[in-house]
Amino acid sequence: MSAGLTFEAVSVRAGEAVLLDAVSCQAHAGRLTGLIGPNGAGKSTLMRIALGLLPLQSGRITFAGADLPGMNRRVRAQLTAFVEQSGAAEVQLTAREVVALGRIPFQSIWQASPSPADDMAVEAALADVGMASFAERAYHTLSGGEQQRLQVARALAQAPQLLVLDEPTNHLDVQAQLSILTLLRQRARAGATVLLALHDLNLAAAFCDELIVLHQGHLVAQGPPEAVLTPALLHDVYAVRASLLRHPGTGRPMIAYDMPSE
Amino acid sequence: MRLSFHLVALAGLALSVAPAWAQTSYPLTLDNCGVAVTLAAAPERVVTIKSTATEMLLALGLGEKIVGVGFQDGPVPEPWAAAGAGLPVLAEKLPSQEVVLEAEPDFVYGGWESNFAADGVGERPSLTELGIASYVSPAACRSVKPVKLSFDGLFADIAEMGTIFDVTPAAEALIAEQKAELAAIVPDSRGLTAVWYSSGTKAPYVGAASNAPAMMMTALGLDNIMGTVDDGWISASWEAIVDANPDVIVLVDAAWNSAAQKKTLLAENPITSQLDAVLHERYLVVPFPASEAGIRNVGATADMAAQLAALTFDQ
Amino acid sequence: MMRGPQIALSVGLWALLAASIVLAVTFGPADISPHEVWQTIAQHLGLPVQSGVTRLRDAIVWELRLPRVLVAAGIGAGLALCGAIMQALTRNPLADPYLLGLSSGASFGAVTFLLAGAALLMPVGAFLGAGAAMALTLLMTRLLGGATPSRAILAGIAVSALAAAATSFLIFWSATGDSYREILSWLMGSLSGTTWGDAGIVTGAVLLLGLPMLLAGRALDAFAFGDNAAATLGIDVVRLRWLLLGATALLTGALVAVGGAIGFVGLIIPHVVRLGTGSRHRLLLPVAMLLGASFMIWTDTAARSLFAPRELPVGIITALLGAPIFLLVLLRYRRAT
Repeated sequence: MSAGLTFEAVSVRAGEAVLLDAVSCQAHAGRLTGLIGPNGAGKSTLMRIALGLLPLQSGRITFAGADLPGMNRRVRAQLTAFVEQSGAAEVQLTAREVVALGRIPFQSIWQASPSPADDMAVEAALADVGMASFAERAYHTLSGGEQQRLQVARALAQAPQLLVLDEPTNHLDVQAQLSILTLLRQRARAGATVLLALHDLNLAAAFCDELIVLHQGHLVAQGPPEAVLTPALLHDVYAVRASLLRHPGTGRPMIAYDMPSE
Repeated sequence: MRLSFHLVALAGLALSVAPAWAQTSYPLTLDNCGVAVTLAAAPERVVTIKSTATEMLLALGLGEKIVGVGFQDGPVPEPWAAAGAGLPVLAEKLPSQEVVLEAEPDFVYGGWESNFAADGVGERPSLTELGIASYVSPAACRSVKPVKLSFDGLFADIAEMGTIFDVTPAAEALIAEQKAELAAIVPDSRGLTAVWYSSGTKAPYVGAASNAPAMMMTALGLDNIMGTVDDGWISASWEAIVDANPDVIVLVDAAWNSAAQKKTLLAENPITSQLDAVLHERYLVVPFPASEAGIRNVGATADMAAQLAALTFDQ
Repeated sequence: MMRGPQIALSVGLWALLAASIVLAVTFGPADISPHEVWQTIAQHLGLPVQSGVTRLRDAIVWELRLPRVLVAAGIGAGLALCGAIMQALTRNPLADPYLLGLSSGASFGAVTFLLAGAALLMPVGAFLGAGAAMALTLLMTRLLGGATPSRAILAGIAVSALAAAATSFLIFWSATGDSYREILSWLMGSLSGTTWGDAGIVTGAVLLLGLPMLLAGRALDAFAFGDNAAATLGIDVVRLRWLLLGATALLTGALVAVGGAIGFVGLIIPHVVRLGTGSRHRLLLPVAMLLGASFMIWTDTAARSLFAPRELPVGIITALLGAPIFLLVLLRYRRAT
């Protein structure tokens, strides 16, 4: 029994289309696991099934040995947190109130106001994403990047043991991207299981301890970046030619794409 | 010179007795509810909408000219019931323009101005274009505010109808008859207050100062509690009525809201049930068609005077 | 909103509501002094006070004014609550309590009963009509493929149109004489002639349905970023949505049965409150109820006193006020962004 998130032979069909085909993989606790693959590979589907947002048709998904999709939703919400694109910003909430949403799984309907534990979690989360000074700002007045960081803070306020993120760094400035990924890696080091879907392969290579590669619903590869990211895989999965280099500082793989011929 | 003097005298004599044999000179133009109505001759084929219009023509002996009636409010009363029996009914409710045109009228007489809507008998300009004259009962005019209705005004309306149809003698006979009946009504001298309850359950629709209800209540010697509001009828509040605690309540008896239903409502409502008039059942009943300006007003007033005289107020 | 101002706001609105009730009963066409009004009420409540008013004036205060003010408060509170919840459930700022075909269905039911001669049973007709419309909307939502907010709105629009057309046809076919006026008054919304029975219905509905709905405040916040976000915060999205829709439908049906289709309150009050409290429903919902109650008390007082002895349907006043207030709210939104 592993302490992380385990997928066993997970399959999903939608009518004739096969969204996932007997995918078995793992995101270990204490590691930052990147889920990569082209659009339509099944990354979003896999993550959503794990969190009970889509029905599990066949296979098993467990977290620390416990059946995750079948878990009581409130208990699951106290264990896991999900971040997706920041989406609609019609809400009239302050930054702090948005982050405070993350404490909902821990509050009963009778509870009149947040507990001291709630307040502490919110303040800590705001500080972690570097938004403590934005606490009283109205959410809808913030930039896309700031809003995304608040969504991450909201997830952190849930004090989750499993963090699942669907492309959390899209639309962010480079500095924000690096800072969030650093933060997520710290969480992983602290013991959490962190699974995130990424579009940018170089970021995935730079930050993730392990990569899971999906292609058209199939698991193609799983392992550390230097093992997974080969020119052959890049050609098969992404239909691009590239050379693999090494980062001068970290030693991590860096992809240099060949330019298409004119 | 002598001859011309005689001629002038003769003319003067002729003119002085002219009213008795007055004849309408056509073409006749008159203003009716803001529209200029021009008649080349006395109308021959009339469609009447609402009972007040039908009854007016029947009372003037013009029943033969009616080619269709619509939206009537009840059976034609005596003494015109026989004349009114065989009239062709165009529709129970408001007939459409096509149905009216099928009857080939040259004159459409509406008891309400709203009868002349595009989805009703047709708008007045469109009828005029087709060579059909239209006429709205003057007291029912809404687009041009009518003067406060009085019996004299009502009689003038009868006279105008007589002029239109060139039956002035019949009109004058009718007027004389109505004046006599009116004169015989002795207004009540007990200084009683009254409210004219026309319809409405949650918000009562009552007679105010300017139309038939006020006219009849004045003739009855009743003090209308809504008599300060310059309108025909208004949607009033029960509070205002209860506060005024009228001595008498006039109930309009309509097919869709009868006097009996009103009495039940008043008796069962927790607040109106406490009114003196309700506790002692001091009601006057008037049938709906007689409650709008028309030839039945005088008769209804006389009837109500009799009802009123029978009411006692010794608590 | 920090906690101190929150408490001040709530206390302030409770005080406003209490003051509104106490003051509104002194207004009316009958010339009764405030002192006499309060004495009369006190006497009815069993306090050792003698009011010297006549039997009829006593009835005016106790049977006409007081129940009507209480009904206004209840309807205002209920409609504001339902409006706020509909806006949260559908994530649409233009949502109001009538979105699911409720008011059109209620109108159809009420008009049917009125034209059938059962004018006094109009509330029953309205309630049945609202229920039928709601059921039809839910059925259509199912047929469209499942209960998502946008499908529910679309189904509701369709049912509203159907019910409105049926109502118009019925009116055109059967209405005679003065029934047009009663129908119009009902369609605009009017509190004329409300009794203690009506006050009982409204109060009962607000307490039995409205108070539990308040408890859903925190869960509603979870909907701020969509169904997925709410689900991952532990909310049973489908069940909560159905429960709230059902409760809203029942409460709105009861309110419309008593007061007719009063417009703008459910739409506007939540927006006005949001300007002050933000979107946190734990605070927004009760504050909206309090403000809605006071608002309705005063608009109805205007409807029955401004043009005395005439009475206007209160829906006219709420519409006249509602439109400019909405514009002001929109301007404030624009300036804030």
